[in-house]
Amino acid sequence: MFDIVRITVKGIFRDRVFHGILMAALLLPLIPSISQLSMRQVTELSVTLSLSLISFILLLLAVFLGGTSLWKDMERRYTFSVLSLPITRTTYLLGRFFGVALFLLITAAVLGFVASVVVTIVAGNFPPDRPVVWNNIYLCVLFDAFKYILLLAVAVLFSTVSTSFFLPIFGTISAFLVGSASQQVYDYVHSSSGQVLSPLVRQAATALYYVLPNFSAFDLKVNAIYGVPLSTGGIVLTVCYLVVYAAVLLSVAAIIFSKREMK
Amino acid sequence: MNAIEISGLSKTFKGKRFTRVEALKNLSLTVGQGEIFGFLGPNGAGKSTTIKTLMGLIEPSAGSACIMGIDISSPKARRRVGYLPENPAFYDYLSAEEYLAFVGTTFGLDPELLAKRSEEVLKQLELWEARKRPMRSYSKGMVQRVGLGQVLIHDPDVCILDEPMSGLDPVGRALVKEIMLDLKKRGKCVFFSTHIIADVESVCDRVGIILKGELQSVERVEDIMTRGVVGYYLTLRDSGGGTTELYVPKDELSGALASVRDQGGEVTLIEPRRKSLEDFFLDIIKGRNG
Repeated sequence: MFDIVRITVKGIFRDRVFHGILMAALLLPLIPSISQLSMRQVTELSVTLSLSLISFILLLLAVFLGGTSLWKDMERRYTFSVLSLPITRTTYLLGRFFGVALFLLITAAVLGFVASVVVTIVAGNFPPDRPVVWNNIYLCVLFDAFKYILLLAVAVLFSTVSTSFFLPIFGTISAFLVGSASQQVYDYVHSSSGQVLSPLVRQAATALYYVLPNFSAFDLKVNAIYGVPLSTGGIVLTVCYLVVYAAVLLSVAAIIFSKREMK
Repeated sequence: MNAIEISGLSKTFKGKRFTRVEALKNLSLTVGQGEIFGFLGPNGAGKSTTIKTLMGLIEPSAGSACIMGIDISSPKARRRVGYLPENPAFYDYLSAEEYLAFVGTTFGLDPELLAKRSEEVLKQLELWEARKRPMRSYSKGMVQRVGLGQVLIHDPDVCILDEPMSGLDPVGRALVKEIMLDLKKRGKCVFFSTHIIADVESVCDRVGIILKGELQSVERVEDIMTRGVVGYYLTLRDSGGGTTELYVPKDELSGALASVRDQGGEVTLIEPRRKSLEDFFLDIIKGRNG
């Protein structure tokens, strides 16, 4: 599997899509100037903008690389040669997944480092009222990467059932939008104001909440921006959630892909 | 042990509007080690389906097959196989050298042997100069040669080649034939599909003809050529020193030779006129269709 991971990472580094998305990272050095638009919370704004930009870049990478990785291999007939090697389809699929996942982690680490330089510069010029909690910022970037690794698993699953890139790309985007809102919807239908909804709607919303991935669980931006302490239990639970949910998605993807005819 | 054993292999695809297409019907075939087997058939006959099934790319609807004694359902069956797909495509962001390294590592070659084999293969296939360029800059023929390179890199016992001559110029085709004959000499099995009958004639030990998913015939090429003799061209020198050429049907050769001798002539050359493999192939196709 390591060989597949290696060529996947190599392929992404040489991919035009990656080069295009990387251009967005050029906005990071502009953040110190843009942050000064905030008269009072310059450092907080720089942290917010840095983390949001990193999150956006990782989202684009997860959707486009995750959604096209398998599809491109099948479309361009690379699978005929690769799957005829003495490897299982599951190995190939997981190799592709872990290759992109590794790349997301590398990108998050590099962008996180650049962001920390940006925030350090801003904090030096405009000392914040609260000290910057670096651990929270690093954990926020790491959990953002985890969030998009989970989204990547969704994209891989869509790729195994689709013969075009529409489902992997647009299905993944839809899953992201729904999965990011599911927590709020769940909280609403279980609040007192949500009681006006019919029981059927509330049950459907609850079922969707448990079935769909909950991306908001990975969002630590508030903790990073305002230095709010993190709950160790919550972090461990979120990591377990990622592992279990991704394992289920990838298992289903592997079963579907193993049955797929390479005509 | 046979290199390839196919037993009752069938494949049915789902067609449009709930129709079913029988791409392979109860195909049984064995190919020995050290044998070059040509798999001949018109477009859509089932050649690629057979090969893809052998390589685990398509699951058979019925039947089984083994490569070097290992059932094709296991990835281990592919450990001793080199496979060239039809119109191959490889990760075009990699160079030929990188791709061969990837394939060699997947087959478990140690780095030192891999480097040695890679150099040999790249030089043999005349890709040495272009080895560091990404494959997206290669011509179709060069990609085909990379395909052959990834077949040969781990020195497999069985080579399964789907239209290996496709996209190659005459020099490239001669090179492929040379490689096939070299593989045979080293006791390897070569199973290849082709449309080009001349290629089968020049390198194959046996030929299988497939039509509409059914194996029509498996023959030794030598037998076809022997059986296919329909007559002889005799070059004669008469008593005056002049030469003439005479065509004699197969059954009349003895009589013709005696007659020439009686007349004081001399036979300087006898050339058989045979039905080509193409004629044999076309006879089968016409017989099946008509």
